[in-house]
Formats: sequence, C-alpha cells, structure tokens
Amino acid sequence: MSIEVEVNENDLAEMVEQVWESYLDPEGVSPLIPTYDENQPSEVHSSVSITGSWTGYIVYASSVQAARRAAGAFLAMEPDEVGDEDLSDVLGELANIVGGNVKAMLPPGALLSLPQVVLAPEATARFPGTERISGVYGMWEGEPVSISMWQSRGDNKEGAE
Amino acid sequence: MTPMRAMVIDDSRAMRMILKRIVTKLNFEAVEAGDGKEALDLLHAMTEVPELALIDWNMPNMNGLEFVTHARADPRLREMTLVMVTTESEQSQIVRALAAGAHEYVIKPFTEGAMIEKLALLGLVPTGANS
Repeated sequence: MSIEVEVNENDLAEMVEQVWESYLDPEGVSPLIPTYDENQPSEVHSSVSITGSWTGYIVYASSVQAARRAAGAFLAMEPDEVGDEDLSDVLGELANIVGGNVKAMLPPGALLSLPQVVLAPEATARFPGTERISGVYGMWEGEPVSISMWQSRGDNKEGAE
Repeated sequence: MTPMRAMVIDDSRAMRMILKRIVTKLNFEAVEAGDGKEALDLLHAMTEVPELALIDWNMPNMNGLEFVTHARADPRLREMTLVMVTTESEQSQIVRALAAGAHEYVIKPFTEGAMIEKLALLGLVPTGANS
C-alpha cells in the first residue's frame, strides 16, 4: 500500500498563487493562466528532493523567457539584464519555496534537499524511478511555467501499517 | 540618529535582494551573508552587532538553525533579534527554531507587508510602517 499523499493540484495551485502574489506579480496584473497541459514544453527547470516519510521531487519548469522574467521580478532588473547565475539562483529559490511548503503538508519526518537547477528542458530521465502525481501547468504572459510533484515508485514503506 | 542595522542571511542572492529592499525601505542599513558561517565570520569582524538578523534555514556550510544556536551561545550577539525566514513551515520545525532562540518565524513566500508586520510586532519598526 502506498503512502497517502495529501497534496493535490489545488494545494499546489494555492502555493503557486502565493508565490506570484509575493514575488512575481505583487500588483496582481499577470497571474499564471492554467492550461492543464502536463506536456507543455520547458527549456529550464529546477528541483528539490524530499526524502523520508515521502520520497520524490518537486520540479519548477519554464521557458527561458519566463525564467528571465521571474529573475527580473526578484532582482528588480529587466529580464534581458539577467545573467545565467541569477537565473539559476531564482529558479532554485522557486523550487525551494514550493518544495518547503509541500513538505509541510506531508507526514512528519521528511527532509528537503538544497535545490538543483538545470538550464535545459525538464525530462523524465532526470527523475528516474518516479512518476508524476500532481502538477500545475500554465502560461505566464504567454510563456509556459509548470510546477509538478514526482513520487518515487519505491515510496511504499511508510504508513502501510 | 544612527540607523539600525540588519543582517540578511540566505544562500539565494535573489532572496537577499528582496529582504534587503524591505529593510532598506525601513531605514535599516543592510549587510548580507550567504550562509550561517559567513554570517558568524562577518559578525565577529564587526565592531557593532546588527540589531536584526533575517535567517534562512536551508543553507550550505552552516544552516540557519545552527547559526541561531551559535548566536545564542555568544554573549556578544545576545541582543540581536533573530527572525527565521524560511520555507520550513512544519510546526515541529518552528518549535525547534524558537526553542533554539529565534524570536520570530516568517514562512516563504511572504509579502512585503507581512514581513513589515512581523518587524513591527518585534518593535523594530513603528506600527503602521506598512501603510
């Protein structure tokens, strides 16, 4: 029997809304518009792993342009002034923020990793032995952004009794 | 009047920028560190200790909880107000941080208004500084 995961699309969507309100769109003028398309393309992604009471990854993926816009919002810069280092930093922090909040909804005893950033498309091969169990997929000012949750297929030990 | 000082401790430059923008707006002079160890090194080199430290939890080298524990054990740093600013939002983690000596806890993501309210609660900025 698999561990019951209490985090669903609505929870993820609520977290994403808070991130937009806090950092990416404080004026409330350019929200993430849902597409519900889990196959939408991405060019860069970041992830944090969670281990312990639940094992898997939280992945933030987007186009380069959306990542530049996010970094620009965090750093108060124009998107085209953002360098790769800042891009990585902001992508990592976004995965960290969502991952930390997901972890808080999981059974006690989970550990959050430091973020990993890859300036290349998200690919299933990056998360071997996992399956996507939840996600929020949308367009931000015409650019794809997604936040997804990948559970380890071996994650069947806790909560079984 | 001498401005108050704040140390922003976070491994994300972007998050340090956001926090610096907020405290600078509140007339703090801000210094930054990328992890707990760098923060302690800077603090030991300073002649005057900042009144406030905003501290991330998950950082390389020395995490925020370890920093709080070290800071609380150092008589020179005892007057510094310590605020955890982190994604670690489980009740048990909050209790651990407060037990180690943190004064307040702000969960990411936070709005500027929410951060200012916390600092007002701690008496570090006037009530209503957010309006």
